[in-house]
Amino acid sequence: MLKFHEALPLSLYIHLPWCVKKCPYCDFNSHAASGEPLPEAEYVAALVRDLEFALAQIWGRRITSIFIGGGTPSLFSGAAINELLAALHARLNFNPAIEITLEANPGTTDSEHFHGYYAAGVNRLSIGVQSFNDDHLRALGRIHDAAAARRAIDAASAAGFDNINLDLMFGLPGQTTESAIRDLEIAIECAPQHISWYQLTIEPNTAFYSRPPALPDEDRVCEMQEYGQVLLAQHGYEHYEVSAYATTGRRCRHNLNYWEFGDYLGIGAGAHSKLTDAGSHCVRRHARHRMPLSYLQLAGTDAAVVSGQTLSKADLVLEFMLNALRLVHGFAPDLFTQRCGIPLEEISVPLGEAQARQLLERDINKIIPTARGRRYLNDLIACFMQDQETAV
Amino acid sequence: MENIRNFSIIAHIDHGKSTLADRFIQTCEGLTDREMQEQVLDSMDLERERGITIKAQSVTLNYQADDGTTYLLNMIDTPGHVDFSYEVSRSLAACEGALLVVDAAQGVEAQSVANCLTAIDQNLEVLPVLNKIDLPSAEPARVKKEIEEIIGLDTGQTIEVSAKNGTGVKQLLEQMVRVFPPPKGREDAPLRALIIDSWFDNYLGVVSLVRIMDGELPVRKKMRVMSTGRDHEVTEVGVFTPKRTPRQRLRTGEVGYVVASIKEIDGVPVGDTLTLAEQPATEPLPGFRTIQPRVFAGLYTVDSSDYESFREALGKLRLNDAALHYEPETSQALGFGFRCGFLGMLHMEIIQERLEREYDLNLIITAPTVVYEVLTTAGETLYVDNPANLPERDKISELREPVVQADILVPQDYLGNVITLCIEKRGRQKRMQYLGNQVSLAFELPMNEIVLDFFDRLKSVSRGYASFDYHFLRYQAANLVKLDVLINSEKVDALSSIVHSDHIQRYGHALTAKIKEFIPRQMFEVAIQAAVGSKIVARTTVKALRKNVTAKCYGGDITRKRKLLEKQKAGKKRMKQFGSVEIPQEAFMAILHVGKD
Repeated sequence: MLKFHEALPLSLYIHLPWCVKKCPYCDFNSHAASGEPLPEAEYVAALVRDLEFALAQIWGRRITSIFIGGGTPSLFSGAAINELLAALHARLNFNPAIEITLEANPGTTDSEHFHGYYAAGVNRLSIGVQSFNDDHLRALGRIHDAAAARRAIDAASAAGFDNINLDLMFGLPGQTTESAIRDLEIAIECAPQHISWYQLTIEPNTAFYSRPPALPDEDRVCEMQEYGQVLLAQHGYEHYEVSAYATTGRRCRHNLNYWEFGDYLGIGAGAHSKLTDAGSHCVRRHARHRMPLSYLQLAGTDAAVVSGQTLSKADLVLEFMLNALRLVHGFAPDLFTQRCGIPLEEISVPLGEAQARQLLERDINKIIPTARGRRYLNDLIACFMQDQETAV
Repeated sequence: MENIRNFSIIAHIDHGKSTLADRFIQTCEGLTDREMQEQVLDSMDLERERGITIKAQSVTLNYQADDGTTYLLNMIDTPGHVDFSYEVSRSLAACEGALLVVDAAQGVEAQSVANCLTAIDQNLEVLPVLNKIDLPSAEPARVKKEIEEIIGLDTGQTIEVSAKNGTGVKQLLEQMVRVFPPPKGREDAPLRALIIDSWFDNYLGVVSLVRIMDGELPVRKKMRVMSTGRDHEVTEVGVFTPKRTPRQRLRTGEVGYVVASIKEIDGVPVGDTLTLAEQPATEPLPGFRTIQPRVFAGLYTVDSSDYESFREALGKLRLNDAALHYEPETSQALGFGFRCGFLGMLHMEIIQERLEREYDLNLIITAPTVVYEVLTTAGETLYVDNPANLPERDKISELREPVVQADILVPQDYLGNVITLCIEKRGRQKRMQYLGNQVSLAFELPMNEIVLDFFDRLKSVSRGYASFDYHFLRYQAANLVKLDVLINSEKVDALSSIVHSDHIQRYGHALTAKIKEFIPRQMFEVAIQAAVGSKIVARTTVKALRKNVTAKCYGGDITRKRKLLEKQKAGKKRMKQFGSVEIPQEAFMAILHVGKD
């Protein structure tokens, strides 16, 4: 039986599924808007119904962060976001220091949008820049150019935002180490508080997967990463997760909650939740219907929840490690017990194996991936995967 | 008995034997059209996929001849591949006649020649027939001439058929009942039945295909297996039409099956004689000569806990495959397994596939090798079927390899290519004879040069037209050495091979390069070396993987990331952990791919 001694922190994820067009590398639940005006008001109403339906599952718990992701949430007006956040505030218990992030695409935003979001209570922006090189942006199928990205960053600051993340990719089709580093230098000049710098990976069910572009070779990509990490450190961006870098005190609390295996409720089309029920000693995952129009109809009913799964002990161990080992500074041993409800002794065998293979270090206060463990993170995580035969 | 005709069909692969068999079944209405699957006789999945016949099968048909008589035709199927000539002679032992099917476009092939000579040796009436006469490229006159020149059969009465569209099939059946003699045998003598084949059925136990030589075999009597003296009650006898059709008894001259609820898999050995317990025969039938496997390889389960089920599976396969030999062996690299002997490479592949498919085993097979004869300095003669067991060099006085004679038939256009190939394989030409359009070649070749890829190479240099058959001649001294493979400086016994000393350098480089292709990049560099004794003759490395990290992972998509990792891990299931290096199954067979591209 799983034993939970204290409540897990809880975040709220809100999915807005529409984009101007689908990018060839994107495997998120996004749908090209078909030219007609978006059903903003209907969708906000559906989200509120969905939340009310889910309230019983999180009753009384305090929300530490909200993340409005997509799709392209910045297709929604400031007014719509305002209405949404007001409705949430009226129904939920917000932590006074709550972090509220919204994802913005430089191609869909102007000064008015940013003022609206800020006024609505959004206090963190994540801007999907991806690159400052117009050739690369075209290859990625982005709807904006480098100049638009810079204008968006300036407009966001002018609107009052002082907690901004830039999403940036490397290992792009045709990219050299020089141009990857140049991208980072420009990003650093813009002085955001946080940079998510991640390697382009070709995911199944994307346009790139069916027609793969020519990517730089592995040695080149590793070179980019090594130079880039030095540059980011020199400018005060601390590396705290595989692809996340932050200035002091500006780590993304919402994402940290994922990586520290906290709870989250996801509302909106295709949103995923992971919720711990200390009373019934179990942890459940479920997801909402992916298609926006069906979601609009079904939100607020059982039928909007399409898949549900109670996690086994083996699932919990693996999923905890899949997240927590991404953290550069590792995690406290207590965190495992607190988040999984399982005593640490139960995983002493795989912990020992990972240590013996020099992928992991531990002392009384910390369990932490070694430099080698960070480099071969998938091999490290695989230590915690039970064989199918033994799991049955 | 006068109206029984027992016959086999001899044909090269693709010459249309199975199609012709199907046509016979249809003509005699053994199956309704609805039941008529393509090539019903090849019943194992594997056979149908590969389009070849592996095991003997029999079908009993009623044929209404033009003279008004109804004949009982027992057709015993035979395999067509060079590896299975032993099975052919077993099938022939149950017959009085053999139909030699020759493709009217391709002409005579070496394997058919060999099988035909076996049939003539066993005093069978051999009837040649030309198939695929419907093909535009058919040349009946030329092919008939080949049959006369190469095999020495008269083709004056030879019928031309197309099994595909049915032309000539009726005339052929008429000719068969006229030409093939009826079986002989004493109906009133005590029962003597020859076991042609046995296999294990999960519901019935052991099922045996038998030919009644003398007497009769009724149901519900006690039968005796003559070699063991054990008695079993006969629970069912019958024939395949090709559906399993129970009968009250099998009579003299007939071919059918016997079930006696025998559960032990070695209870009814192929080649043995059955008699009746109440009135036993005094002398068993001659049986078959035992067959020597020529190619040996180590078979291991990836998961060591499967060892017992692996042993059981081998036992079941061995029941109707007398050519499969196995005995336990241990490898430092692979743990407990079996050293298995096979007739040839195809036989080995088929056994592997059957084990994996029918018994759900995950296997690693080491590189196949032939049996070497070693004269030690102490004056002993040893036979070594595993390179890892070769004595140290200073203990060997002489190392001898098996030499075979290969008889090859090839159209003139490809003669040069074939000779070049044979010389590359250390062959010595013994004979060359022009026969019509084809050339008949005889070469002496070291057997280890032909077991691996000779057949494939021969086919590719002759665009598929050359064919060959081989038989063992003798052991012959040769300058051979053991080549070891070291992975991260540790010797992997399962990767050792015995190589001619002239080829060490070239072979060592090719082998290490091939192994490299199969070993995935891992967290550290993997050095692959080939060595003779302590001397390294080739070296290559698999570079370390730079990193293995998932770039992006946020809450929602965790299920997908998980599946990805689980897939990565599943891919490693077919790998064997050796020290810290993971070696996939295919690497142990790298030797087979040396020199292929």
